Amino acid sequence: MQITVNDTSYTIDVEPEMPLLWVLREELGITGPKYGCGIAQCGACTVHVNGYAVRSCQLAIGDLGNSSVKTIEGLGTPDSLHIVQEAWIEHQVAQCGYCQSGQIMQAASLLSTNPDPSDDQIDAAMSGNLCRCGTYPRIRAVVKAAAKKLQGS
Amino acid sequence: MKMSFLRAAFAITSLFSVTVLSAGDKVEINPPLAGSVSKEQGLEAWSRIFEVASHPRCANCHTGPSDRPMWSGPSYGKTRVHGMNIQAGNSRIGAETILCSTCHTNKSEDWSNANVTKHAAPRVAMSWALAPATAHWFGRTTQQICEQLRNPETNGDRDTLEIAEHLNHDLILHWAWAPGGNREPAPYSLQEHVNDILAWGVAGTPCPQD
Repeated sequence: MQITVNDTSYTIDVEPEMPLLWVLREELGITGPKYGCGIAQCGACTVHVNGYAVRSCQLAIGDLGNSSVKTIEGLGTPDSLHIVQEAWIEHQVAQCGYCQSGQIMQAASLLSTNPDPSDDQIDAAMSGNLCRCGTYPRIRAVVKAAAKKLQGS
Repeated sequence: MKMSFLRAAFAITSLFSVTVLSAGDKVEINPPLAGSVSKEQGLEAWSRIFEVASHPRCANCHTGPSDRPMWSGPSYGKTRVHGMNIQAGNSRIGAETILCSTCHTNKSEDWSNANVTKHAAPRVAMSWALAPATAHWFGRTTQQICEQLRNPETNGDRDTLEIAEHLNHDLILHWAWAPGGNREPAPYSLQEHVNDILAWGVAGTPCPQD
C-alpha cells in the first residue's frame, strides 16, 4: 500500500483497518500526532487529509485512498515555520505540550478555510481539541493573532 | 437536471419492482398497487414511520433551524446538544468551523469493525452531515413531521417513491439501523421502513389530524 505523508511517498504493509494514527506513529515513526483517546474525543491526533483537519485515530488506512496526509512535521520547518506555528511560539501557548500539535493542525485548518474567524467560530472549531493544562484562552488569542498575520501577509 | 433524472428513474421503478444492493443492505422498492392501501392502513404505516423519524438515531441530526446536532436517547442518558460545541452551520457539514468529517470520517466500504467502539464517532461510506433545516424532526409532533414529510417544499421535492429511493441511497440513513457501539438502532428495519413509506404514499400520505 502506498501513502503520501508530508509530500513523501511510503510503501507500507498493514491491515486496511489500521487507523492512520497507528501507521504514522508505529510504521513511519512520525510521532507529532499524539494518541489521546482513540475515539475522536480529544483531538490530539489531528492531521490534515487533503488540507482538512481529520482525527487520524478515526481514519482507517484503507479508507485513505489517494489522499495526501500532512502532520505537524510537514506544516512548517524550523527555518520556515507555518504562520500558526510562529504565532504559537510568540504567545507561548504550550504548557505540557501534548495536545499542541493537534491544536495547531486544527487551527491551521480553520484559518485555511476561514481566514478571519470570530471568537465564536474559533471556539466552535477548537472545542473538539482538549487541553488538560487549560491553555484555551491563549489558544483563542493565538488563532486571532495568526489570522491577523495571515491578513497582513 | 438531477431531479429530472430521478423522476425518470422513479417512473420506471413505479412500473417494476427494483432491487438495489448498497453498502451491504438489500432494499426492495416495491410499492403496493394503486388503491390497495386504505387510509387507515396508511395511518398505521405512518405511526410506524413516526416511530422511526422521532427515534434518536434519526431525530438527533434532524434539528431543523438549529445547526446543533443532538445527543439524546438511551445511549446518551440526559438529552443534550452534541458535545465539543459542534455547529454544523449553514453548510450543514460544519464547513464554517469544523467539518463533521473531521471525526465522522468516511469509510470506503463496510468494515465489520467500523463502528464497534463505544463512544467513538460513527462512520459511513459517505460524508456525515446534518439534515437540511427544512427536515425538522427533533422534538416535533407526529402531525408536524407528517406534514413536513409529505410536502415537496419541505421534503426535498420528493414524492414517496423518491423518499423510499432516498432511503435506499443515503448510507447515513442505513447507519440508523446498524449504528454499532452501544447505540440503540432505529425501530423495525430499513426494508420495513421503506415498505411503510411506500404504503403511506399509496394511501395518499394521510396525517393523523387530517
